[in-house]
Amino acid sequence: MNLKSVLPATVASKLRTARELAEDLQRTEEDRVFATACPAFDRLLAGGLQRGCMVELVGRRSSGRFALVHSVLAAVTGSGETAALVDLGDGFDPQAAVTAGVDLERLLWARPRHLKQVLASTEAILQSGMPLVVIDLGMPPIPGGRGAEASWLRLARAAQGHQAALLISSPYRASGTAAQMVLEARTARARWLGYGSSPRLLQGVSSRLNLVKSRTFQRGPRAGAGETLHLSMAEDLQDGFDDAAVDLVADPQQRAIA
Amino acid sequence: MAVHRIACLQVPLFPLAARLRSEPELRDEALAVLAGRANAARVVAATRIARRSGIRPGLTLAQARTRLPKLIARPRDPECERAAQEALLDVAESFSPRVEDGEEGLVYFDADGLDRHHGGEEELGRTLMLAAEKRAGMPVRVGVAASKLAAHLAAGRPGSPHVVVAGGEAEFLAPMPLAQITPQAKTLVTLESWGIHTLGEFARLPEAEVVSRLGSAGEDLQAIARGEDPRPLMPRQPPPSFREGMELEWPLVNVEPFIFVARSALERIVRRMEGHGLGCKRLELSIELEPDGHHERSLDLPAPTRDVKTLLNLLRLDLESQPPGAPVIGFTIAAHPDRPRSNQLSLFGPTALSPDKLATTVARLFALLGADRVGSPRTVDAHRPERFALVPYSPPSPPKERREVKNGQSFLAVRVLRPPIEVEVTTAAGSATEEVLARPVSVKSLAREEEAKKMQIDGRVHVASGPWGLEEDWWGEAPLERDYWDVELSGGGLYRVFRDRGSGDWFVDGVYD
Repeated sequence: MNLKSVLPATVASKLRTARELAEDLQRTEEDRVFATACPAFDRLLAGGLQRGCMVELVGRRSSGRFALVHSVLAAVTGSGETAALVDLGDGFDPQAAVTAGVDLERLLWARPRHLKQVLASTEAILQSGMPLVVIDLGMPPIPGGRGAEASWLRLARAAQGHQAALLISSPYRASGTAAQMVLEARTARARWLGYGSSPRLLQGVSSRLNLVKSRTFQRGPRAGAGETLHLSMAEDLQDGFDDAAVDLVADPQQRAIA
Repeated sequence: MAVHRIACLQVPLFPLAARLRSEPELRDEALAVLAGRANAARVVAATRIARRSGIRPGLTLAQARTRLPKLIARPRDPECERAAQEALLDVAESFSPRVEDGEEGLVYFDADGLDRHHGGEEELGRTLMLAAEKRAGMPVRVGVAASKLAAHLAAGRPGSPHVVVAGGEAEFLAPMPLAQITPQAKTLVTLESWGIHTLGEFARLPEAEVVSRLGSAGEDLQAIARGEDPRPLMPRQPPPSFREGMELEWPLVNVEPFIFVARSALERIVRRMEGHGLGCKRLELSIELEPDGHHERSLDLPAPTRDVKTLLNLLRLDLESQPPGAPVIGFTIAAHPDRPRSNQLSLFGPTALSPDKLATTVARLFALLGADRVGSPRTVDAHRPERFALVPYSPPSPPKERREVKNGQSFLAVRVLRPPIEVEVTTAAGSATEEVLARPVSVKSLAREEEAKKMQIDGRVHVASGPWGLEEDWWGEAPLERDYWDVELSGGGLYRVFRDRGSGDWFVDGVYD
């Protein structure tokens, strides 16, 4: 017999089954996580970027690191949340971001000149209650060095205190022990369309994403887990170019190189 | 007839109170405020410590210093007094919308019905005194009556607050001397020759006889003596800006001491704006320079804020970037107010940022990075890849419900190099029909480019795709003609390089990442 059916309505409405409680718990946990639009990234992050956590994403040039930053910003701003990008490399391209799905109106873009400004800007932004802050440290070498570990710890605490997700995209490990999760994007392999002497067209890159460190106590992959990341070339990135010259015939002497 | 109630705020020794408001560290010193120039300057007010040593109004500075050699002397500062008067008006406006500026530390306001909110007019008076002390930084006396004169005289009585019961004004004024209503000396002499010495005696005279002998001025005076205002309360218009400032005792040549004195002025402005529920949208600084220069500047803020630290930082950065060029001997800060942004919170959707906190954060970022390096990015309707626009950050309200995130295709992103890095590119000579279509074979950073040295873009071209022609502004004075290539270098790295058709130089303007 269903217990609720025999109880007065006022009492029955307050009763929760174990399944309902579990569902509520899961819903609460989902609210605390920013799912990114990249399934491989989400799987390694056990669902997405957690609020109150600092995650470091390391990758050399052309590893797909910046594409993941776009992906995270697109997912968060697309869901109606606001986000901030602290762009030390000053490499953000609004046109490419729109192609990736970023809602520019919800994005705060700060362009510091060196690491000291990055740390100060990020702290100020976290204090405003911004739910997601992404720091992109550009390409090596980072202007201003790696920064003191105490500064990164301070940022990690600020993110925890304000329940914000903090993603650091860096060409090499910069945040020391402060990050709760560290992922590494290995150098990508480019995928080209066309063979031999035919004209080539960049189709995308394939990269390997590895979880280097995980200090979270939740369910999810452990350090060492990896995922393959496929990034394709957006047509809009070539928008504006006159592609009449694509029919160029390659120099036979260069075939070996190509 | 409905009986109106008027409250009067009076600051005793107003020139002194205004000066102490600007320089609170002098509160426990022997200080005298003087009016007039050079040897003609005379004491108008002095602190209690100075008064104990015999410093009285009317003494010259030399006489005062004879009695108290360590006396600190300050001239009357119109800027300080104007700011103090504004602060007093702000306090009154936080109680009533109808406030009249009585000048020189005197403010009247409509107190009809306020007794019900404060548990009586006595309690209202006490609340007013506390509010003025806290928010305007000056002690005030309060009088409440049905006419301005009665309220003013009640405020001057010891044992503030003093309330004249409704209808009891004539009785309250009756024993007061005629000089209290400041008639002309001639009128006063005439009345005294009639044997009239108090307001009560004057009020009891037949009105027609007074008019026939003293004219309409006599009629007005008699109305005042009876506790009736000849003209109604004249409410002032709210100020377009909040101003604070002071004349400095000595010229300042460095930014730090100036910021120190500007901080207290800004704090006072912010306190006043807080009372009105406003934030600062534009800050104007007017500086008096030695010997007779003047310097003005203004700072636009991205959103209204009341954060003193942020405002000070902006002021400091602006002064450091454009120093006034001469010692500073006085300043005025004017804050143009605006309503802070408000936002409707959602129960089920994403959490909205607090507009107030966001405004403060953006202003801090402005101060930290510069106005051209913070904002919300926008695309520009043009073809060149480095194009972008920056607008003030003002995110729209969040949706009522959180939108689902769709797992889609992840796109390769381009990391733009601003400015493009010049490189030396070797092309496959004779491989193409035209030089512009020559395929890159190797890329090497130019040593003279500092950025190029750091970036280390070197290597043989593994795969090249292109060229992609780009022509823009061909009708203008600086046409843009480029041939773009996507190249993969042997050492790793996918780059977007272009050859400027005009100069023939090669540049790397993006990294696929």
